[in-house]
Amino acid sequence: MAEKKLLLWLSQLACNANAHSLLNHPSLEEFQKSFDWLYHPLLPSLSSLDEILDNYEEMECDILLIDGALCAGLSKKGVRMRDMLEHFAKSCSHILTVGTCATYGGIFSAGGEDRSGLHFDGEKRLDGFSDFFEKSISLPGCPVHPEIVVSVITALAQGGSLPLDSYRRPKEYYGYTVHDGCSRNEYFEYKIDRHDFGHLEGCMFYEHGCRGTYSAGSCNMILWNGVSSKTRVGEPCHGCTEADFPTRGLWRTEKHMGIPARLPLGVSKRAYLSLAGVAKAFRIDRFHRRILEDEE
Amino acid sequence: MEEKRDRKIQIVVGALKLFAEKGYYRSTIPDIAGSLGMSSGNLYNYFHSKEELAQEAIRYISSYLAIRIREVNESKKSSREKIEDIVRIYFETARDEPQMIDFFLRVYLSNREVFSDGCEGMVCVNEFITEIMIFFEEGVANEELRNQDFFTAFGLFMGYLGGMVFLYGERMLPKALESYIEDISENIYRALGV
Amino acid sequence: MSRTLRLIEKVEGEVSLSYRVENGRLRAVSTSFFSSRGIEKILRNREAMDALVINPRVCGICGHAHLMATVRALESAMGNPKLTAKAEALRELTLTLEMIQNHFKWFFLTIAPLLGMKSPIQAAIEPSRTAASMIAVVAGQYPHNSYAIPGGVVCEPTIREKSILLYSLEKLIGYFTRYIVDTDFRSIEECEKIENILRMDGYLPQAMRLIMERGWERLGRSRDRFIVFGENGIFRQGKSMATRYYPSLRPDYIEESFVPESGANSVRYRGRHYETGPLARAMVAKRPLIREAHRRYGDSLLSRIMARVCEIASLLHYCRELIAGIDLSQESYIEPGEFPQSGVGWGVVEAARGSLIHRVEIEEGLIADYSIITPTQWNLVASDAEEGILHGALEGESADAPIELIFKSFDVCSVCTTH
Ligand code: SF4
Ligand code: SF4
Repeated sequence: MAEKKLLLWLSQLACNANAHSLLNHPSLEEFQKSFDWLYHPLLPSLSSLDEILDNYEEMECDILLIDGALCAGLSKKGVRMRDMLEHFAKSCSHILTVGTCATYGGIFSAGGEDRSGLHFDGEKRLDGFSDFFEKSISLPGCPVHPEIVVSVITALAQGGSLPLDSYRRPKEYYGYTVHDGCSRNEYFEYKIDRHDFGHLEGCMFYEHGCRGTYSAGSCNMILWNGVSSKTRVGEPCHGCTEADFPTRGLWRTEKHMGIPARLPLGVSKRAYLSLAGVAKAFRIDRFHRRILEDEE
Repeated sequence: MEEKRDRKIQIVVGALKLFAEKGYYRSTIPDIAGSLGMSSGNLYNYFHSKEELAQEAIRYISSYLAIRIREVNESKKSSREKIEDIVRIYFETARDEPQMIDFFLRVYLSNREVFSDGCEGMVCVNEFITEIMIFFEEGVANEELRNQDFFTAFGLFMGYLGGMVFLYGERMLPKALESYIEDISENIYRALGV
Repeated sequence: MSRTLRLIEKVEGEVSLSYRVENGRLRAVSTSFFSSRGIEKILRNREAMDALVINPRVCGICGHAHLMATVRALESAMGNPKLTAKAEALRELTLTLEMIQNHFKWFFLTIAPLLGMKSPIQAAIEPSRTAASMIAVVAGQYPHNSYAIPGGVVCEPTIREKSILLYSLEKLIGYFTRYIVDTDFRSIEECEKIENILRMDGYLPQAMRLIMERGWERLGRSRDRFIVFGENGIFRQGKSMATRYYPSLRPDYIEESFVPESGANSVRYRGRHYETGPLARAMVAKRPLIREAHRRYGDSLLSRIMARVCEIASLLHYCRELIAGIDLSQESYIEPGEFPQSGVGWGVVEAARGSLIHRVEIEEGLIADYSIITPTQWNLVASDAEEGILHGALEGESADAPIELIFKSFDVCSVCTTH
């Protein structure tokens, strides 16, 4: 077996959910056998953060994982986080921005000055770390699905190609939308625009602000905690993998004269409205009945 | 294929003229075939029934208007100017192709049973409705039109135009239809604008 | 005299602890945090419902408690709309499961290494993963969901979800027996004798023995004042000074004040600091085993560790009752009516680390003000070392004492404090 790769997890302004989420990976114990953590905020690590802060200039890692929003003024024990990130970024082979905060700035970027992701501030490209752009991979999500972290690290360790999009997100996971695989798809297809909370039926695109059809992610394909997803249980997708997360009015669909202001990814208004018009013309009884209703 | 399609359109155009003269219910398949100089048997190769022909006719009208409104939608004009363009398209169609608007108002809207099987809801006028929706949606997105329910806006716009064309058809308007475009557009804008 | 500065890490972020050593004893203890994320500022001028999505992101390990505090605060501002028993039970269940995963992680990832215990990583991961998937089966995912909304919950669990919950809970109970104490988990709740536990197998008795062997069992004693705001099937509201108990508290008696050197807000109730968390809950609810530990060792690190780990047994029992009581035929959600244009609401819950309090003020339909008071603020932040809870636990302690263990016996959450 090849030498174990050394991973380093450095939190910036974070909530620690990405770190906790990783612990939910079904094969974490096995994964841990192939990699060492120089530091992880929860898992057993080779060094303490204290030691790293004192001696980071003499240390290196193979894969650097950055969690949380970067903040220009953030320092720990007098060490500027920016300097430390730059040091490890130089020598490592890959950088992963873990979560929406580290990728785009995320939720906390509105809480203070000078906060952003590593390469992006929302959709805007930054150049502070642009020397490392080519070795960076973006794993947005609030939090990111643990399977994505584990399989991307594994793929990097094993070599081979990892197709990325322009935000440097792996296409295997971000080439889909959250809508793909949602159990409410039929209600979307046939334009049943009614949805009531607390029910298995209905699609939340029309009234309750579901952003699944235009948010990149595979929440409904790889499922959360191995069992479900927000939209499956009946919570709208809030687009937490996207550069603009969190938008405003997260529980209602913004509409212009009754027409959803945002349409499925890449679908033109004309295409959407034509199909919607056809679908709406037909009343399909099955979609107006409760799934669990007893039948005569 | 292409040829068959063209021929179908010719039949629709001929039929619309006949419907306008004789009325939809009084026009029979042999009448329509006769007016086009073809045999009834031949016409049945294209349409199995008068209903089918009527449905094709409404799709044809919807598409005729949609193509023209789409050009308006794709222009860079303000919503106020677009309203005027759409009103003009509608009135010019009523003036130049009265049989179309006549069919839409007198046959399509008043004889829904003819369209129940195959033209459910608004499927057969979908192209036209889509363009109107795009016009509304963009007007709201650009903050020129007030955000409201689609049907309240649609009813106001189309009901108004339909009413004017009806008056025109009944020769009750003292002036030429075009001379109302300006005022009507202004009224619609005032009703729908922010 | 120079101050010692120590980085306490793996407390959901880091805290910097500083003190002076005088004649071998700690003096002038204080804590400080590296940053603040500004959640309260982010919330201002947003639609009230947005808080349901933003607030869980305060914390990766107790975000669900923040969701519950938020939904209660919003509901209180709406005049407390009616909920079905099913919706209430589901909310209680997922909140309780979050505590269970927290306690397992804390004991095996935070405390065990400090005692030099060789517990396997599975002891932390298997139970927390199972609890997380149980939350997800009704709430969609964990961490970070917003499935509780004013009026109930968004989901409609069926027999699928119910049976997953049922059997996963049995798994959790199995982990308790395998990793914590090798006994029927119900017996912990009734047990009154510490010796009975000490004689058993499992990592809890092992940890207790290690602490006692080193003579640490009475370290970390503080003010002996406890407070519990949340109330539910197993927790009781009230405060307890040593063993005297006072019921019913008023959240408007809470005072928050910014402590500049700490970078966080301290919290008092009618002018005084209180300890919050499992030890406080056990004292207020008069749990026999923990009262016995308190009688012998005071509000020490051992009492704190025992209270938190033994609480798992009560939480598991509560989950079992909740799951059994869920009537799938009830509605999950009752439309609560329009949001008021203005109003004030309080949301109080017991989170893993203690009482969590949210307060929302709505004006013109938007959030005009939002404040969050987290358990770690109660336990860790004080402007006066003579008053604070952690300060009481460390002040005057020998410099050779297990300072980090005393500190972490509070189950500190840095990210919550720096919301
Ligand atoms: S992206 Fe979400 S999960 Fe990640 S640190 Fe930010 S708030 Fe936490
Ligand atoms: S609820 Fe959302 S993700 Fe599911 S089908 Fe509807 S739009 Fe798609």
